[in-house]
Amino acid sequence: MNTAATTTTDENADGHDHEHHDPRLAHHFDSHQQQFDTGKLGIWLFLVTEVLFFSGLFGFYAVYRSLHPEVFLYASQFLDTTLGAANTVVLLFSSLTMAWGVRCAQLGNTRGLLICLVTTLACAAIFLGVKSFEYTEKAHHGLLPGNMYHSPEDHGHAAEAAVPVAAGGADAAADHATADHADADHAAADHAAVPAVHQDDELFEKTKHTLSYMNSFLWAVIVLSGIAFGVLMKNPNKKTLATVAGCFLISAIGMQVGAFASVGYHQFGHAAAPTDQDIAMAETAPAEYAKQKEKVPEPLLARTFFSVYFCMTGVHAIHIIGGMIAISWLIVRTVHGAFTTYYFGAVDFIGLYWHLVDLIWIYLFPLLYLIN
Amino acid sequence: MATVVDSSNPKSNFPIQYRELNYLNCSKGWKSWFFTLDHKRIGIMYLIGVTIAFFLGGIFAVLLRTELLSPAKLFMGPDSYNQMFTLHGAIMTFLVIIPGVPAAIGNIILPVMLGAKDVAFPRMNLGSFYLWMFGAAFFVAAIVLGGLDTGWTFYTPYSITTNTAVITALFGVFILGFSSIFTGLNFIVTIHTMRPPGMTWFKMPLFLWALYATALIQILATPVLGITGLLLIVERAFHIGIFDPALGGDPVLFQHFFWFYSHPAVYVMILPAMGVVSEVIAVHSRKHIFGYRFIAYSSIAIAVFGFLVWGHHMFVSGQSKVVAVVFSGITFSVSIPSAIKVFNWLATMYKGSIRFTTAMCYGLAFIFIFSIGGLTGLFLATLATDIHLHDTYFVVAHFHYVMMGSSLVGLFAAVHHWWPKISGKMFNEFWGRIACLGVFCGFNLTFFPQFILGTRGMPRRYYTYLPEFQNLHILSTMGAYLLGISSALMVGTLIYSIYYGKRAPANPWGGASLEWQCSSPPPSNNFDHPPLAGDPYVMESVVYNEEIGGYVPAECQGDNKGSVTASGDKEV
Repeated sequence: MNTAATTTTDENADGHDHEHHDPRLAHHFDSHQQQFDTGKLGIWLFLVTEVLFFSGLFGFYAVYRSLHPEVFLYASQFLDTTLGAANTVVLLFSSLTMAWGVRCAQLGNTRGLLICLVTTLACAAIFLGVKSFEYTEKAHHGLLPGNMYHSPEDHGHAAEAAVPVAAGGADAAADHATADHADADHAAADHAAVPAVHQDDELFEKTKHTLSYMNSFLWAVIVLSGIAFGVLMKNPNKKTLATVAGCFLISAIGMQVGAFASVGYHQFGHAAAPTDQDIAMAETAPAEYAKQKEKVPEPLLARTFFSVYFCMTGVHAIHIIGGMIAISWLIVRTVHGAFTTYYFGAVDFIGLYWHLVDLIWIYLFPLLYLIN
Repeated sequence: MATVVDSSNPKSNFPIQYRELNYLNCSKGWKSWFFTLDHKRIGIMYLIGVTIAFFLGGIFAVLLRTELLSPAKLFMGPDSYNQMFTLHGAIMTFLVIIPGVPAAIGNIILPVMLGAKDVAFPRMNLGSFYLWMFGAAFFVAAIVLGGLDTGWTFYTPYSITTNTAVITALFGVFILGFSSIFTGLNFIVTIHTMRPPGMTWFKMPLFLWALYATALIQILATPVLGITGLLLIVERAFHIGIFDPALGGDPVLFQHFFWFYSHPAVYVMILPAMGVVSEVIAVHSRKHIFGYRFIAYSSIAIAVFGFLVWGHHMFVSGQSKVVAVVFSGITFSVSIPSAIKVFNWLATMYKGSIRFTTAMCYGLAFIFIFSIGGLTGLFLATLATDIHLHDTYFVVAHFHYVMMGSSLVGLFAAVHHWWPKISGKMFNEFWGRIACLGVFCGFNLTFFPQFILGTRGMPRRYYTYLPEFQNLHILSTMGAYLLGISSALMVGTLIYSIYYGKRAPANPWGGASLEWQCSSPPPSNNFDHPPLAGDPYVMESVVYNEEIGGYVPAECQGDNKGSVTASGDKEV
């Protein structure tokens, strides 16, 4: 200790490096193993807090589903199972690439790690793209939480007796704007008394219209970040900036892919037009037809379902965005060659976080989409 | 006994008492503080922040008590009274008591006690301090933007309909929650992975056990508060109908969510203080702690039970009778681990050589006040009496005995106990003890009359009252003044010591745990080599040394301290 006292000045100048010089080992740890164990325990505890954070939402779900099962039965039919399932597959695939990336990092395969991380980031972006389509469409159908909710019955769906078409919700950011749109929808519906099919088309057009703002924005991001990436890539001193631009590029492209795929699916893929048989039946025996296509009456608290839906998927989407930021950070560090066979903790930890975010979606999907 | 000895210097094993370059002055400028990763500096910043918030909350308290001198309106109407007690409660809870011992004292002491160089995640530690600052800023913003009048509990549906700055305050709570989570997470990981050689779980100082139990609660309960606050924000902003009965929501659900956090949070406040008292009583009685394992296990037991009793806040909120009985029963069982601690402290003092230092005085005050606070809790846990006592001054007195009288007195004990280590200076014991006496008397004078008021039916949260209550209210207000003056005296004594105090030796009280083995104040890396840890309560391992005015390891007593002390000085 006396020796230490005599060298205090040195210590303060450059930390306590008399024991090790490895920049990958933080000064207060004795070994890489200790550093890794510390991080691992830390991330697991953090995941515990995340689970508890979501537990409030699951509690909310459990209480209301047990109090008002009919609300959930009725309202969940407005969610598009196909889009939800597609998103589930995308997220599961991203979990695979993330786990693969951890493996690559452990083996010191930087190139493989980079590919895996980029794929994971792209999958996350596709998920968000699909989600934004769903949200926007929900908003245009007035399927919003609380007193922003407008009953789909007002749209004339009841008369049509068709199973309500896939409907989406509102992005947190789009809430205000879309609520107004929804009002406009109603005015239009009440006033013009358009046949329901057209009404539906109209709503879809509006959805596409709103999405087109996002579309233009994303194109701008793609072009700008693409240029930035192209220019900076050649400069070895701007590696970080180039990589950040690259991450933006991948995210924007991913979102575009997701949104376009959803629009395309909606346009061509589903909600088949009534068959000849249906039309014949509706013309000859309207009462029987209506009975056959009988739908659940709208319960009083249908809006509560959409409160649950938006809160749960919204908080989940925020976690996806957080994960995308974390993965981008990993990509930047990977490009700088930070990870080696004995130092890959960060990849492992963010991987665990990503798996948890996936896992939560694995619960959300059946709880919200697959009630019927 | 583990001593930090330097084998490379054969002249002496005598521990260094003092270094000119320590964590306080090793670097200068505001940046060296605001961007520091040193846990001790972060702890100091917390301590300053907590002190400021304490006086802010205290001023609100004094104003409230002044208004209550008379049943007539003196200077506050009902609305400003509502805002005042809300802010008093919210500031004292979220900004003072919750971060008080764990974040401020724990940050400074925990790594040193572990013989570690820092906490596991120093950057996250700094981040959690900044989150605390942001949270505090939101609270200040809430005061500016129209105040807050919901009570610190934010009960729905009133918190949805009132037009005060509920959303701002809730954001503050949300952010402060994450600050608390990150501190707790850091402590758990640090205790798990960074203990020095020789320190098994059952050789840890009990303060660490207490902080560990606290951290468990922090990471398991606080996220629920976070999501509850978030849902209430969304409810207020978009009327989603979770908690609003007008939209089909359930306001009692809010109470469940809220108390699922906030009851365990009560133990976040009291457990660290209990840990402090375990240290203080043992060290200042110069005796091995009695029933070490029982105290350690009881901390964990309190943490676990703490999660199962939230319903006792809702006996009159319309929960089912069976549930109420179960909650009442579990609540009773919490008193068992609490009582185990009290009995062990008393047994520790038995036949010890007790010195009435300021820290010890606060420790004794804690035991006295906590016993009253804990026992009156049983009245409230009893279903039949709770119907009568619910929402009266009895409740107010009970939780002030626990939260103010115990938690804050525990914080005061901690500050005095570790002040020589933190600041490197000895404070004036005489004035310290006077302040302690003032705090003790002032506190009891303030809150004991409130027990009587409560049993006679004085409801809480009113700015006015029936005239027959006036004498007791005046008594209570006088106590509040005394309490305020004594707290100021305490802080004054401590600040005075920074400038004019005697230089502190490494081990002024004769503690055997690791933090007393590094010099006072510690150098920025605490220990150059991980020290060997032994039993932290073998007080015989250190003996008093006249020359330096502190304790040194018994085996060094005969060494040539002249040269060593000189060497300590010469380096300077």
